[in-house]
Amino acid sequence: MPKYILDFAATPDNLPVIRHFVQEHLKSHLADSVRLNQLTVATEELCANSIVHANHSDPSQKLRLELRIEKQTLHIYLYDPAPPYALHKYPSPPKLLRTDTNRPGGLGIYLIRQLMDKIIVRRRGQTSIYHLVKSLA
Amino acid sequence: METQMSLSPNADTLNVTLSGELDSLSAPKLYDQLSQALKDQPNIKKIVFECQNLSYISSAGAGILLLSLDNFGHRGIDFELRKVRPEVYNILDLLGLTKVMAVSNA
Repeated sequence: MPKYILDFAATPDNLPVIRHFVQEHLKSHLADSVRLNQLTVATEELCANSIVHANHSDPSQKLRLELRIEKQTLHIYLYDPAPPYALHKYPSPPKLLRTDTNRPGGLGIYLIRQLMDKIIVRRRGQTSIYHLVKSLA
Repeated sequence: METQMSLSPNADTLNVTLSGELDSLSAPKLYDQLSQALKDQPNIKKIVFECQNLSYISSAGAGILLLSLDNFGHRGIDFELRKVRPEVYNILDLLGLTKVMAVSNA
């Protein structure tokens, strides 16, 4: 069972590192470049929300990203010390421009929900665990 | 890899070449460059993004395109994205951008 782990600080500077980590480890499991990109985007959006919104881009906060492939199914885990944010409460489809800020909002979470088969969020001790599931079949 | 932008005004059209990755780090720079270019050249009526070498776009990148469309579109400026790679087109399509601006595949 392949398992890949990336530990990173909660700073947006790490977003390119995160997506390159995903691409590097999943490319041998996915021949289709569009699907590989979709999983890269979903993972980056998940991490970006945790970095920016849950941890306020505080580099002293440490997160862990874990990719596991079990029986043609990809499991993405993000372990985050901050309290969980409400992945399920964002509008779908997204508001292209939010009425309160007049800026685009909720696009990343919308993408995660569109691109993944299952999303599980739970809190264990002092850690929020985001678990995204996608069939690779 | 970084996003590179070249603004080359041609008559009333602003050509913008995007390459690399348009994400939360590079997207604000694109918006600043567009704002400055449109301020310097108020006669611009169309912005054409050449996207052949744009390999990645995140929601932040797509959001900046939407924000630009909203902020500059009311001045009568049309947006067009040309030669968009399938990976990037797929994300733009999921977010509905292909319905609000002209987007063509590579």
